[in-house]
Amino acid sequence: MSKIGNVIHEIHQMDTLAARDQWVNRIHPLVKFVLTVGYIMTVVSFSKYNVIGLAGMVVYPVALFLLSELSFWDSLRRLRLVLPLVCFVGILNPFFDRNVVLIGGIRMSAGVLSMLTLIMKGVFSVLASYLLIATTSVEKLCYAFRLLHIPKAMVTQFMLTYRYITVLLGEVNRITQAYSLRAPNQKGVHFKVWGSLAGQLLLRSMDRADDVYESMLLRGYQGDYRYMQERIAMRWQDVVYLAVWAGLFALFRLCPVMLVIGGLFI
Amino acid sequence: MSHIHIDVEKISFAYESGRTILTDVSFHAAENDSIGLIGANGVGKSTLLKLLVGLNLNYEGSIRVMDIPVEKQTLSQVRSRIGYVFQDSDSQLFMTTAYEDIAFAPRNYGLPEDEVKKRVEQALHLTGIEYLRDKQIYKMSGGEKKLVSIATILSMTPDIILMDEPSIALDPRNRRNLIRILNSFEHLKIIASHDLDMILDTCKRTILMSDGKIIRDGATKEILSDRKLLEDNGLELPLCMQGIADKQVKEKPAYIGRRGTGTEE
Repeated sequence: MSKIGNVIHEIHQMDTLAARDQWVNRIHPLVKFVLTVGYIMTVVSFSKYNVIGLAGMVVYPVALFLLSELSFWDSLRRLRLVLPLVCFVGILNPFFDRNVVLIGGIRMSAGVLSMLTLIMKGVFSVLASYLLIATTSVEKLCYAFRLLHIPKAMVTQFMLTYRYITVLLGEVNRITQAYSLRAPNQKGVHFKVWGSLAGQLLLRSMDRADDVYESMLLRGYQGDYRYMQERIAMRWQDVVYLAVWAGLFALFRLCPVMLVIGGLFI
Repeated sequence: MSHIHIDVEKISFAYESGRTILTDVSFHAAENDSIGLIGANGVGKSTLLKLLVGLNLNYEGSIRVMDIPVEKQTLSQVRSRIGYVFQDSDSQLFMTTAYEDIAFAPRNYGLPEDEVKKRVEQALHLTGIEYLRDKQIYKMSGGEKKLVSIATILSMTPDIILMDEPSIALDPRNRRNLIRILNSFEHLKIIASHDLDMILDTCKRTILMSDGKIIRDGATKEILSDRKLLEDNGLELPLCMQGIADKQVKEKPAYIGRRGTGTEE
């Protein structure tokens, strides 16, 4: 399969994961969205030297991986392009922040600590976002957005953009395959034809997008996905799930839980 | 006059570039009519179908679907009565699974979820694709996608079905299945196709188009057995008739001798 084919496959795989009938997938989308945002905000709010406190926040992605029965290694593979970038963000901190801080009586480089917290914050946030979209379909996410009164036009645009990404990638795939079959000795696309291929891609994807839109119009679409108006009831399990995690986030943020746990063993 | 009908009167259509596609096209289609729309590539078959559902509105003349004029203000009324199957299933199907795509129209028409489910199950049953219910669209074969496309319009319970090249890319078994489905649909249907054998199996009436005009409108058997008429308009006899006709018509059609020389028009 070509690289673009792989990307399309990965997008469809995410749809497949979100459509599974797992317990976490059935949690109300608004609850999952609010928790994810809350989690990221909590993670980001830790001070830049509080590595131990931040480490406790790993409990959320770990629990979600277990509950949703998602493969951790598959997820890492999917995030292989994003995670190195996230890790790279704090790499210069040890050079700029040369202070020394004491942690449990041990002197440590403040720059290294701030680098670690930055990396952890980035990785945790990316994992939480990934877990949200791997357990919630884009339609349900849009439903949650509408419950939060995000304007309909924005939500619909988000939804259609997501749908059109695969349409666009499909066209790119077809064009590059047709090119490579008639230019077998070339690696990639020669720069001389970039212009005409880009033009073709634009025209063809516009045509295809037009067709898809016409198909929607002919089946009663009038600017609003009715799917989002279908009410998804909030169950008591959803409320308990929200309350438990919100409580845990507050606990990990406000109390030195990891130090207490460590103290039990040392 | 029957309740379900389409009236097309003297319509002409040209793109903004000035290219004329349809000229002075008129016909009446009544309830239970099954009409095959045939003609060579580019004669305006797909354009005509698109005009009937209001996908292009800048035409001259009059189109009325069940007495409703096809214009901007009436589009939702017209479209709720007509099911349109696209030539390319990939353009028609845009949701994740077959179920979601088939449920798209009933949900848009505001039906309660119980009714949506009932309609989806009925459409799946009618097309014989219950096994595709939860299958993802991108994992389907061309034939499966075509059947799901048909199911997406059956769930609208339309009074009229329009199909653009429905048998394209179907293997013989799926094609037979499609013919069975089309024949089981009792209301008005108009099928634009090059597959003249399928038209012969599914349509009692045929409209032959050439150069944006209707050349002949009549009984399918009569039109599809007229070799000269078909060949003059860029078509050939249906495969099932070619053997019979060869015995009846001794002379070789003019174009056969030129075939392969690259000189035919």
